[in-house]
Amino acid sequence: MLAYVIRRVFAGVIMLIVMSIVTFALFFLTPIDQESFICGKNCSAAQKKETAAAMGYDDSFINQWSDFAKGVVVGRDFPDDPKLRETAPQTIVRCDAPCLGYSRERGDTVTNLIKDTFPVSFSLAVAAFILWMAGGILFGVLAALKKGTFIDRGVVGLSLIGFAFPTFFVGLLLYKFVAIQWGLTEIPRYTSIAEGGIGGWLSGLTLPAITLCLFFMAAYVRMTRSYVIESFQEDYVRTARAKGLPERTVTFKHALRAALTPIVTMAGLDFAGLMGGAIITESVFNYPGMGKLAVLASSDFDLPTTVGLVILLAAFVIMANIVVDLLYAVIDPRVRLG
Amino acid sequence: MAFTKKPLAALAATALAATLAACGGGSGDDDNGGGSSSGKAEKGGDAIFFVGPRTVEHWDPQRMYIGRDLNNSGRLFYRSLVALPASNDPVEGTTPVPDLATDTGTTEDAGKTWSFTVRDDVKWEDGQPITCEDFKYGASRNFATDVIIGGPANYLFTYLDIPTGDDDLPAYKGPYSKKGQELYDQAVTCEGQTITYRFKKAWPDFPLSIAQLRYLDPYRADLDKGDANNFEIISNGPYKLDGDWKEGTGGKFVRNENWDESTDPIRKAFPDTWDFREGDTDEAIYEQLLADSGDAQYAVTERRLPPALFSRKDEAGDRYTQVESPYVDYVLPNFNSPVFKDANCREALKLATDRAGWIKAGGGDNYFKATDSVINPSVPGYEPNPAFADIPAAGDPDGAAAALEKCSAPKPVKIKFTYSGGTPTSDNQASALKAAWDKAGFETELDPLEDTYYAVIQKPDADFDVTWGGWGADWASAGTVIPPLFDSRINITPDSNGNDYGNYKGGPEVNQLIDDAYAEPDLDAAADKWAAVDAKLGEDIAYIPLEITIFNFVHGGKVTGYANNVSVNGYADLAVLGVEK
Amino acid sequence: MAPRVRVASVTHGDEVKMTIPGSELEIHEAAVPIEDDAVVKVAGRSPTQLAIARFRADKLSMISFVLSVLIVLCAIAAPILVAMGVLNPNEPHQNLLSDDGVLPKGAFGGVSWDHPLGVDPSLGRDLLSRLMLAISSSLAIALTGTVITVIIGSILGIVAGFSGGFIDATIGRIIDLTLSFPQTMMLLAMAAPTVLLLRNEVSDAPGLGFLGKADLANGVFVIGILAVFGWPPVARVVRGQVLSIREREFIEAARLFGASRRRLYFREVLPNVWAPVLVYLTLLVPAYISAEAAFNFLGVGIKPPTPTLGNILAHSKDYTSGDPTYFFLPGFLLALIVVVFNLVGDGARDALDPKSHR
Repeated sequence: MLAYVIRRVFAGVIMLIVMSIVTFALFFLTPIDQESFICGKNCSAAQKKETAAAMGYDDSFINQWSDFAKGVVVGRDFPDDPKLRETAPQTIVRCDAPCLGYSRERGDTVTNLIKDTFPVSFSLAVAAFILWMAGGILFGVLAALKKGTFIDRGVVGLSLIGFAFPTFFVGLLLYKFVAIQWGLTEIPRYTSIAEGGIGGWLSGLTLPAITLCLFFMAAYVRMTRSYVIESFQEDYVRTARAKGLPERTVTFKHALRAALTPIVTMAGLDFAGLMGGAIITESVFNYPGMGKLAVLASSDFDLPTTVGLVILLAAFVIMANIVVDLLYAVIDPRVRLG
Repeated sequence: MAFTKKPLAALAATALAATLAACGGGSGDDDNGGGSSSGKAEKGGDAIFFVGPRTVEHWDPQRMYIGRDLNNSGRLFYRSLVALPASNDPVEGTTPVPDLATDTGTTEDAGKTWSFTVRDDVKWEDGQPITCEDFKYGASRNFATDVIIGGPANYLFTYLDIPTGDDDLPAYKGPYSKKGQELYDQAVTCEGQTITYRFKKAWPDFPLSIAQLRYLDPYRADLDKGDANNFEIISNGPYKLDGDWKEGTGGKFVRNENWDESTDPIRKAFPDTWDFREGDTDEAIYEQLLADSGDAQYAVTERRLPPALFSRKDEAGDRYTQVESPYVDYVLPNFNSPVFKDANCREALKLATDRAGWIKAGGGDNYFKATDSVINPSVPGYEPNPAFADIPAAGDPDGAAAALEKCSAPKPVKIKFTYSGGTPTSDNQASALKAAWDKAGFETELDPLEDTYYAVIQKPDADFDVTWGGWGADWASAGTVIPPLFDSRINITPDSNGNDYGNYKGGPEVNQLIDDAYAEPDLDAAADKWAAVDAKLGEDIAYIPLEITIFNFVHGGKVTGYANNVSVNGYADLAVLGVEK
Repeated sequence: MAPRVRVASVTHGDEVKMTIPGSELEIHEAAVPIEDDAVVKVAGRSPTQLAIARFRADKLSMISFVLSVLIVLCAIAAPILVAMGVLNPNEPHQNLLSDDGVLPKGAFGGVSWDHPLGVDPSLGRDLLSRLMLAISSSLAIALTGTVITVIIGSILGIVAGFSGGFIDATIGRIIDLTLSFPQTMMLLAMAAPTVLLLRNEVSDAPGLGFLGKADLANGVFVIGILAVFGWPPVARVVRGQVLSIREREFIEAARLFGASRRRLYFREVLPNVWAPVLVYLTLLVPAYISAEAAFNFLGVGIKPPTPTLGNILAHSKDYTSGDPTYFFLPGFLLALIVVVFNLVGDGARDALDPKSHR
């Protein structure tokens, strides 16, 4: 088991390195001179060159990547300029490991930016996750048990409709009508627990979490239903039935348990992805999370922030994959790690 | 060189804005001429400013260049040598008064040297006195072009008496590298509390530029962290930042105990706190303001009422205000394009341009006013441009079709219109122009660009035929309009056209006219000379004017002393605004 | 090694529907025991005929199939009607707008005999024309994206499944790598530079039908993103399918007769994996239509005046209270199209695999 874990983690790290190289190549090899966006409009050729040097964009992308990698491991100084260290040391920003870069546009280290925005995205992810898992599994199992009935058709139909409307459309409906025009809820604004207590945190989260959960719930209802139905047809369920076990035991102990295993693991992956920010939901509700940060960063060509976010999110997903595989082995005795 | 980024997102700073509809109570309070509504402001309460989707890019005074941020910071937490009083009078509101200085500046050589004396009873938020050295240091930061990016430093580069180096930039490289420090120390000097600026050439309206921009604000050398201070606010005004500024969210301002009301004739500082909120869409902001519910009752904004919600303005009653803005929008034929290097083709485009359709698509007469010059009527030097004054607002399709016959380009004349798109309004307005041009015989391809707009059109070899531009003067002088936009000598280099997107080259005649206007020390005579340059630009069809933006605002019901003052470009003047408790 | 969890890799963490959640298709090859009463009678027909018979027996599937055919016909007809001048998606009628603003005169967004669905605010263009042409362009993007996705996924899946060993492992790693990218964030970050680049590339190309050059650059980028991040699930499904077919007799026989590798891949194996691929294809189309709209909400995609469902919605979102007809109509049309195509996909899956879960 331990050997397996070590091997997976090692493979994960390799994957992350490859992925960060690909990301750097994608962003820094583009023929667009990024510095002209940062330099602004009244920017002469000389100023542009100065900016590029200050941003490190005049370096080869391999060097830029290795500087980045070094920053992750041991930290970095921005700008790393020995001359400036003599004349104006106070203008050099120290970015401690794990350093994901420094954003000129935002005047802060990417690590700090993420520290500010992560709690927002995480809150949203948790709230949506609880809602969609509860709703998805409940309705999915219900539909499976009542297969072919009016209830089943209703649940499946509704989930299909929920799936069909784009998230931003649903979000706008809730925001503009429920919150603003009808005034049924407060205007959603993110409030941290420290500021507004659990109550304030929850009330700020309600509408965005519902928006985000609807899409996932629709998918999870359909998925749960089909896994449950499938597991009823499995041999061991038939065996259990043949042995004369009560239907209730068969349903809950055998069929459901088997069906829910893949769902739980998959939910883990979805949750990991969501921790990196729900870009659309955060945009609709003006939620200052990592998704919103990504939108801001891409709109002003803030490459360090974008790259930092992309790599961090990839790390989340790679980690989640490992955890989920391990979890799968624990839940499902048929899986052997080796 | 203020510019507008999108047709409905004008930035920048400039002078006059006439109040069209001073709704409601009007001038109950002393000198707030117009645009004011509701009761008299009193101390106390918590006010909100909706910043909207366009977040603040810099709070560093030397890096700010957006009208909204220049205004708000100047009213709440940044002071400079001189400032504009809170007034809507076209003269009073655009005449600098002493702020941190004891006078409005003295010059003994018609503007080549300017001196100011700093008050000795003013303090920073940490209680330190504000010194002449702070001003000198602040100005020096403009020269650190690798760190202090985005501000209007170019004015200092043009005027301040510092030699130019091999790279066409000043030989002084700012306080961080200290390269060429001795050059700067000669150009800007402190004697006691008196600061003196020495220029290469006369700069008669220098104090106005200090009042309108923030690039000469004082700065604390001991607290300067360069780029990392982008969102740090070292206040010397009535409010200071409580905690951090968070981009995308905003920040909260509380009273600065080290600001002494008796030293400040301009800022009334009524509310106890100011909450700046970023990121909401215009629709979300205005749905709340129109409903006047919850927090929005205490709020003002610089966002404009979206045209989609205009029909609901009556719900707001006297909370709705309308002001003419200092911005002008125009289109530019590209002089490098095979079509529009021919004057006949430009003539056809000019006559075919349907300003009325453009205006209607952008919201109609309540949102824009057709205009006939790139110089805003509020700026001295404006005169109806004879080249455009007589064309009907909807254009002259027949005249255009006739002119197009003479155009040398192969028929049908295919043109590409590259514009700053991405908002429903800009896309629709472009479609309206296309419809009219096509009617006259052009075949127009629309090419909307968003974030990459300037990167594309600033390339001299770009393949567009027509593009869009918007501009507001940095201060009340046509010298901050025509040269930045049309002087090829300062704009066009092999790899950029600066702000001369149309690649217009006036040649010796126009260059001479510009130099003459610049050299004229009498501001009234200079205005006439600028008008003459504008007439020549019209003759060459260097641009085709479209309209002047009109601002439509709604503010919250518990806001008091609301005024859209000319001193803050027609935006809400936060210096005199209060809220009910 | 743990089995790869049966994960359809929903999306990487957000709400854009680029892959299909919960539809890791495990369609067994068509030669499954027939359980369906309706089909027993037709035993003896080919598996394909059986599947079609099953599909036709299902009312909901048939209704949605007919609807989807209508939608496709409408999409094909729209550009033709525009060319004939029957539809006029770009002609402004500003006289139909209220005098002091941008909203259409009259009820329901200016519904009239000439403009059965009203006109759009600020320009007064005919909404019916715009929506019909929008279906064309959205469907064109979704279909092209789907086909490219499926081609990439099938080729890599077949190669991986058939080759095994190092090649299989490499493709597996590429899949993992692709899936670990946050798609929407990449979409946003890559959009501006890539479109700028493409724009210069296509500047000499002729426009494509009603799509102009700027549309081409934006369209190619959207399709590219969809394909680049969409293929891994297809590859996995196909690989699994290939693994199960690989050992069967007819492949063994072909191998014995000395068939070339390429021949084996494409003449023997491909025909046997078409069923799951076809189902995936039908389900991917609505997912991509949805994705196009979501992308446009984020400012990426084909720009007006060329209408797509996405860019109409991106505009109409500002009119929730000003012109609700204009806000709701495109939203519901999009939802309808997505539902209909999904039902067809579901029906196809059930017909091909009666063991699946109805």
